[in-house]
Amino acid sequence: MNHRAKLLIIDDDPDFVEGIKSILESAGYGVDAAYNPKDGFEALKAKPYDLLLLDIMMGRGAEGVMLARKLRKDPRLSQIPVLIITGIREQIAFLFPGEPIHPHLLPVDELVEKPVEPQFLLDRVEALLQAAEQRKTGTR
Amino acid sequence: MDSPTKILIIDDEEVVLDSCTLILEGEGYAMATATDGVLGLKQVEEFQPDLVFVDFKMPGMSGMDVIQRIHAYDPSIVSIVITGYATLSSAVEAMQKGAYDFVPKPFTPEEFRLVTRRGVEKRKLVLEAAALRREREVLRENFAAIVSHELKSPLAAIQQNLFLLAAELSAILTEDQKARLDRLKSRIDDLLKMIQTWLRAFTVDIQKIKEGFRPTSVPSVITKAIESVQPYARRKDIDIVTAIGAPLSPVFGDEGLLVEALVNVVGNAVKYSFAGSQVLVSARHQDGHVMISVSDSGVGISREELPYIFGDFYRGRAGRADEVGAGLGLAITRRILEAHGGTISAESTAGKGSTFVMTLPALRIDEETRPAPEASVQQTTQVGGAL
Repeated sequence: MNHRAKLLIIDDDPDFVEGIKSILESAGYGVDAAYNPKDGFEALKAKPYDLLLLDIMMGRGAEGVMLARKLRKDPRLSQIPVLIITGIREQIAFLFPGEPIHPHLLPVDELVEKPVEPQFLLDRVEALLQAAEQRKTGTR
Repeated sequence: MDSPTKILIIDDEEVVLDSCTLILEGEGYAMATATDGVLGLKQVEEFQPDLVFVDFKMPGMSGMDVIQRIHAYDPSIVSIVITGYATLSSAVEAMQKGAYDFVPKPFTPEEFRLVTRRGVEKRKLVLEAAALRREREVLRENFAAIVSHELKSPLAAIQQNLFLLAAELSAILTEDQKARLDRLKSRIDDLLKMIQTWLRAFTVDIQKIKEGFRPTSVPSVITKAIESVQPYARRKDIDIVTAIGAPLSPVFGDEGLLVEALVNVVGNAVKYSFAGSQVLVSARHQDGHVMISVSDSGVGISREELPYIFGDFYRGRAGRADEVGAGLGLAITRRILEAHGGTISAESTAGKGSTFVMTLPALRIDEETRPAPEASVQQTTQVGGAL
């Protein structure tokens, strides 16, 4: 991917954000961060992003899930690929009893666990961006 | 109890039903009656009573049977026997089978009201105890959720930044410094894994873990557990010695969890040992079981403490203030062993040392190729096993 993709991280842990932001920036991406779901949603509406990196457990519970569901309902925002980065696999399973451990919150999402190896993170991000690109050219 | 207390009376004599109903009238109870055992049990299901009076001598199903079935259906329902003078001894038997009280016939209205009130009080206590138990379960689950978020999140942030530093500084760091950074990463990794294991031990559905059980070699579990404790033992100058009897049969289980269980016990033995002493880990067969015992000659556990050591959040008081822990290790170990159909028990003399014995059902060689045999449930001597 040649153009400088714009990514948004929504995570309430500034240290964690710092840890992945630098990795992504040194790989050439433009990265913004929001530290709560509300600011994150505003940021998504204000400016187009190519990919969202989303935490699940924020604020009073699984607010990341709430945000993901809100995005899905929005015709424009639902097109953004979402990479969920969470520390809590069990709780995801707990939140969706009876469903597979990887909940399909959005048609394009993917889930990785915290902490995430730098190269693995870059691979996932690149794969999601490419898939989104192909979807775009495919539907045209 | 907000809704009125529900009372069911089962008696073949209409006159008894009528008079009992009349006696309790105006006391605010909801009443139902049945004229024999079969109808009575049907009423138990439909009416969902708090309290049931059962006549001992009825044609058809006996009062004893009715009481036994009510008890089996819902042990929290309080049942009371109505009995004639000749059957006092069998009333005692009924109480052994689950009845709470009895009223000898004939009785005065005041006597009947008194027995009723006592029964209602008992029902209240039983329900309260059940609610407390449920609350405790919920607490345990929430505890796990808190641990996972509050402990794992900062560790993940630290680890993420270590990853970042390692990448950013890769051109500058010496080999020595890189090795140290790797060591940091692996220690954090160990912590994350440990939290994972603890969470598993606390929240996991036992039936689920059992699906992943496979024949597991005991000596390999012992070796891995000792490897994990060894660095700590070396720092404290404690020698861990093993004695594994003749070829041991494998056990049916999850190696990771069994290692975790043993690490807790061996780690404790080291923790409460005196510098320069020995910890002995031995394993042998006994009565179809593999027994693993861990002995130390350390500070020991006092007689008063011994019953509590397998409970949650219990930490030894035995005079070693420098040793800290969450007090969860042995509780987790017990849960892991129970999930494997095994047991753990302890013997100790304060000042002389402790011996922990774990048993696991041995897997016979011919069973190895067959799928999941039911692990035998054991009720052997468990110190402080009940929660």
